[in-house]
Amino acid sequence: MLLAAVDYYRPDTLAEAVEALDSTEGARPLAGGQSLISILKLRAASVDLLVDISRLEDLRAIAVADDGSVRIGAGVTYDEMAMSPDLHRSHPRLSQVAAHTVDAQVRNRGTFGGNLCHNDPINNFPPVAVALEATMHVTGKDGDRDIAAADFFTGYFTNALSSDEILTGVTLPALNGRHMGYQEIEIGEAAARAVAVVATSNGNIESASVALGCLPIPVRRPQVEEALAGTPATADAVAEATAAAGEGIEPLSDADASADYRQAMASVVAKRAVMEAIEGGQNG
Amino acid sequence: MTAPAKEQTTTTTWTGQSLPRKEDERLLKAQGSFVDDEGMYRQGYAQFVRSPYAHAKILSVDVSKAEALPGVIATLTGDEVKAMTEPLFQFAPKEDGSQVNEYLLGVDIARYQGEGVALVLAETRGIAADAADLVEVEYEPLPVVTDGVAAAEPDAYVLHDSLGDNIAWKGLFDWGDIDWALENADHILKIDKLHFHRYSSTPIECNAVIVNWDPGTDMIRVVSNNQFPMFGALVIGPSMGVGTDQFDFVSQDIGGGFGIKINSYTSIGVLALLSRKAGRPVKWIETRTEHHQSGGHGNERTFLDIEVPVMADGTMLGFKMRAFDDAGAYLHYEPLGAVIWSQVVPGPYKFKHVQVDYTETLTNKCPAVPNRGYSRMQHLWFVERVIDLVAQELELDPVEVRKLNYVQPEDYPYTTPNGCVYDSGDLPQALDMVLEMIDYEGAKKLKADREGSGKRIGIGIGTTLDSGTNNFGQSRILNPELPFSGNGEACTALLDLYGEVMLKLGTNPQGQGHETTASQVAADILGMSPETIRVWTGFDKSHSTYIGFSGTYASQFAVTGINAVIGAVEKLKAEIIEVAAYAFEVEQDQVELVNGDARIIGNPEAAIPFIGIANMVFANNATLPHEMAERVSLTCRHVYVPPFELPDVEKKYGNLTLTYSTQTHAAVVEVDEETGKVEILDYAVVDDCGKRINPMVVEGQVHGATGLGIGAALKETFEYDEDGQLLNSNFLFYHAATAMDVPNIKTSHIESPSPFTGTGAKGMGEGGGAPLHTISAAIQNAIGPGKAIVSDSHNPPERVWRMLNWDGPAEERGVTVVSNGDGA
Amino acid sequence: MASGPGPTQDIEFTLNGKPVSRTASSRMLLIHFLRDELGLRGPKIGCDTGHCGACTVSYNGKTIKSCMALAVQADGAEIDTVESLAGESGDLDELQESFRENHGLQCGYCTSGVLMSAKFLLERNEKPTAEEIREAIHGNLCRCTGYVNIVKAISGAAHGDEGLALVERLNREHAKEVSA
Repeated sequence: MLLAAVDYYRPDTLAEAVEALDSTEGARPLAGGQSLISILKLRAASVDLLVDISRLEDLRAIAVADDGSVRIGAGVTYDEMAMSPDLHRSHPRLSQVAAHTVDAQVRNRGTFGGNLCHNDPINNFPPVAVALEATMHVTGKDGDRDIAAADFFTGYFTNALSSDEILTGVTLPALNGRHMGYQEIEIGEAAARAVAVVATSNGNIESASVALGCLPIPVRRPQVEEALAGTPATADAVAEATAAAGEGIEPLSDADASADYRQAMASVVAKRAVMEAIEGGQNG
Repeated sequence: MTAPAKEQTTTTTWTGQSLPRKEDERLLKAQGSFVDDEGMYRQGYAQFVRSPYAHAKILSVDVSKAEALPGVIATLTGDEVKAMTEPLFQFAPKEDGSQVNEYLLGVDIARYQGEGVALVLAETRGIAADAADLVEVEYEPLPVVTDGVAAAEPDAYVLHDSLGDNIAWKGLFDWGDIDWALENADHILKIDKLHFHRYSSTPIECNAVIVNWDPGTDMIRVVSNNQFPMFGALVIGPSMGVGTDQFDFVSQDIGGGFGIKINSYTSIGVLALLSRKAGRPVKWIETRTEHHQSGGHGNERTFLDIEVPVMADGTMLGFKMRAFDDAGAYLHYEPLGAVIWSQVVPGPYKFKHVQVDYTETLTNKCPAVPNRGYSRMQHLWFVERVIDLVAQELELDPVEVRKLNYVQPEDYPYTTPNGCVYDSGDLPQALDMVLEMIDYEGAKKLKADREGSGKRIGIGIGTTLDSGTNNFGQSRILNPELPFSGNGEACTALLDLYGEVMLKLGTNPQGQGHETTASQVAADILGMSPETIRVWTGFDKSHSTYIGFSGTYASQFAVTGINAVIGAVEKLKAEIIEVAAYAFEVEQDQVELVNGDARIIGNPEAAIPFIGIANMVFANNATLPHEMAERVSLTCRHVYVPPFELPDVEKKYGNLTLTYSTQTHAAVVEVDEETGKVEILDYAVVDDCGKRINPMVVEGQVHGATGLGIGAALKETFEYDEDGQLLNSNFLFYHAATAMDVPNIKTSHIESPSPFTGTGAKGMGEGGGAPLHTISAAIQNAIGPGKAIVSDSHNPPERVWRMLNWDGPAEERGVTVVSNGDGA
Repeated sequence: MASGPGPTQDIEFTLNGKPVSRTASSRMLLIHFLRDELGLRGPKIGCDTGHCGACTVSYNGKTIKSCMALAVQADGAEIDTVESLAGESGDLDELQESFRENHGLQCGYCTSGVLMSAKFLLERNEKPTAEEIREAIHGNLCRCTGYVNIVKAISGAAHGDEGLALVERLNREHAKEVSA
């Protein structure tokens, strides 16, 4: 409950933040803190300097581009995502997911970037980023770079950032008529989770992107996506195409659920996410 | 639901009104006083060093680095505690005297993860936490015992050498003639195993203590949220070598207790030792992780080899089984749980023949302590599981089987096979009411309609008893030498110098509204408004009145506390009237009390306000006859003692509890076939606790007990891995029910007054774990006959999913029916 | 008092409408700062992990759990606690009064946090449904009430006397919807 000694610094600019991270051993960025402070309270990680990036204006905007893609600042809170008319128009299901993430107090404080960087398997946005093929924008001492979502998550609680780098924002491609489905098994936060982005035409699935969460690294399911492409957008066809969604994944076993159960549930949530995306399309 | 705006006259009856609580204004404005809101001058902050191992020899404890940290005041180790104290009193040593030796801090061996092995005291909370990290403890891991049944095996690793085995208590309970019943029944239902899981009501405020052992007076002042301090004093006093007269226990507001907060007495004791050593007051606020690992868990119980004799019409003759209670590593309040379940042996049914081979074992887990529904709900869950399995396996209607076997309204007072007396009730009516509340016929139709949809409907019923006001004589069944029996509570009613009415209670409530209900009954007796009566808040041993049983636990305030209030206030009333009659020069029966005045009946002009009465007694006593001035104190103490006799310890027979509230629950659930997730669609409760002093408070207790039970049934469990590591050490993995998990709970009530309590009221706070019974039944109903049986009280999605997907052979279902004629 | 050795920062913020200017240890949680340094009793501590919500306060108009923020992060912020609800007169506000009338609290330990969550909800949504109320307070654990009377109290504050009737009707409708 009580943190070990730590220093704190709130830079005014992104450059200052990068500089602080680069020059201080054991420095970590602090955004909403809804994961990091919890870890520090349990003294499960040792940090010497917290660099508070939660007020950096560069990180706090949601901007829709002409092509319909949307850039969400890493420091945007879940609540700000939920309340954003722009995001509601561009990615309505994501807006809805943000509106129901954890609870009101966490939504008011937790940030999109923090949720992604922390990559706790129970976090909900990593599989969203992977399914949508998001681009992660990063700034570090050597300048800016972009990382594909598929390459961003590297393991349990880890990501591709080096210690001087900060995730500044994430660009989600336009849905362009596709719809997103998001389904989870709510045990604790979630024991299994799937995100599907599906395009349908004339009652058939044109293309589908399916990602599973609640894993050390969120994964796409290419075999499932191939099986879905071209099949009728019906419950039976989707059930058949997603039946093997959990094959080969290695979920955790913990107090909430066994790996066996999580694996079995992977295909259930995958099926439900795809059906939700299809129904989203049918509903307009 | 607001305060009735009636004219305040002697005819007003405050008892029975849903008055808003007196306690609420301060709590709503954050003006309550919980332990962490308090402090003592010069206090230091304590932090425990706790064993990360479930079972390990403590080879060495090195506090030198911690003591060298600036700001550290003192440390305390198990060896020091061993040198300055005796092992804690045990309720039931074996006949040869062997027993568990427990000290106030882990000594030589740590026996569960989270057991305290050292303490540090520092100037701030932060330094204390830092210093605890610097204490170096060398451990040598030992084999770990986590299974409460296997712990009883002869080859199990023994936790306590001083005990010789892991058996805390063992006994055969045998009433009626089970062998006859099994021979003569038409059918025998056999169930291999049922398991009631470990969980806790996890109060949101964790344990907390501020203690000062004053070196000048040798008084030990304890500000804590312990809910049964007199019990704690009886146990730790002898260990510490101090008299109970040295303890001054104080509590004001307590952030939930549920029985769990009985357990903090060992912490109080060791923190007092730390205070003595440091010469400073000590403040300790338990963290959530500490609370889950070491604050106390509810009892886990396993039922094996169950046999149930049933007649063809569904009449059940009783049951036979073996029960194993897992007490954890030390006996805190245990093994009282080994006998407390026998307050409700047949549940709400007329079973005559019961045999229970009972064993309580020690394992490398957190000590089990009372948890709302203590020891009875485990047994009542078992009884309800049996009823539903009988109905399912014999293709009988679960409603009709219940009605057939219930104790009937005309049977009260009903004596159970072990001599307990059920006081009153109307179970068939309660069942009819609750079924109507969930639209039973509609639910059955919904169930049929939803077949094949992937979502199954389950309907469950749970009848339960809430036995209140223990006869502590039942502890003699464990150990005939124990000098405990009966029960009781105290109250003192006073007029203060300016004629103000005050009540001092022996209880220390945790949200049950005692200030309100006590003032309601006192107001009726004194003919005044409850608003004008001050009930002293909380408990303070230096001014509160108390007896050895004083506290707030075991569903009894409405009987013991309220009757103590009535007795004390009646005595006060008599004194006021005596003084007034003297002043008026009339007979005492010519005086009445109205709105804070004593007046001559029929002559409102002739009135003396209470201030005048107080003045005569306290400040103007030469106006009174000398004999009266010395005798009348306007300070009237009453101890209510319920009418109990000693049980027959040989036969384990006697009336163990004064009152039996009933609760009948019904639920409609939806089970997702693909995921095993259970959603509650409808939930209703019919409560019968006799006469209700404040119906709104009663309903609140019903809601609370139901909410906790629903959480336990579906989400909340304490589980250990094979190394004895707790998997649910905080709210990250202990999923306490949220507002999204508990549905709107429909409530209704019957009032069957108790003939034994004077007021007709019964205790009702614990609720008997009914949602566990009800939801197990509903899930079973959704799964249907011929499939897996619900054999655990905790049913998270994965367990339900496994039951739905179980397709083993019939003989592995864990339940069989043997009928007379096929070899019974 | 929660602080130990280590770096400190000077911070200024507004607490319940009044300016605060202090030095805070960098490692100190906001909840400890409010309770131990500033002497507030409203925000409570009930867990280690940010799950119980007893410490809920308003931070720049939005609720947060004050055990999940550092005191130094309060610099420049406007923070309101449950102490701000009853006015200068000390009278219960409408929401608090509804909790009293509807028995929306028992032990009172979670109540400060629940009130702050309810206030935030009602500022955004004047007439919430029972389901919306439940969602809004599901970051606040209560072990005494089964939440029934908390939902009723919030609904009562929002909808007046029809609060209870509305909650019950909405729950019935919800039950039908789920099972339809």
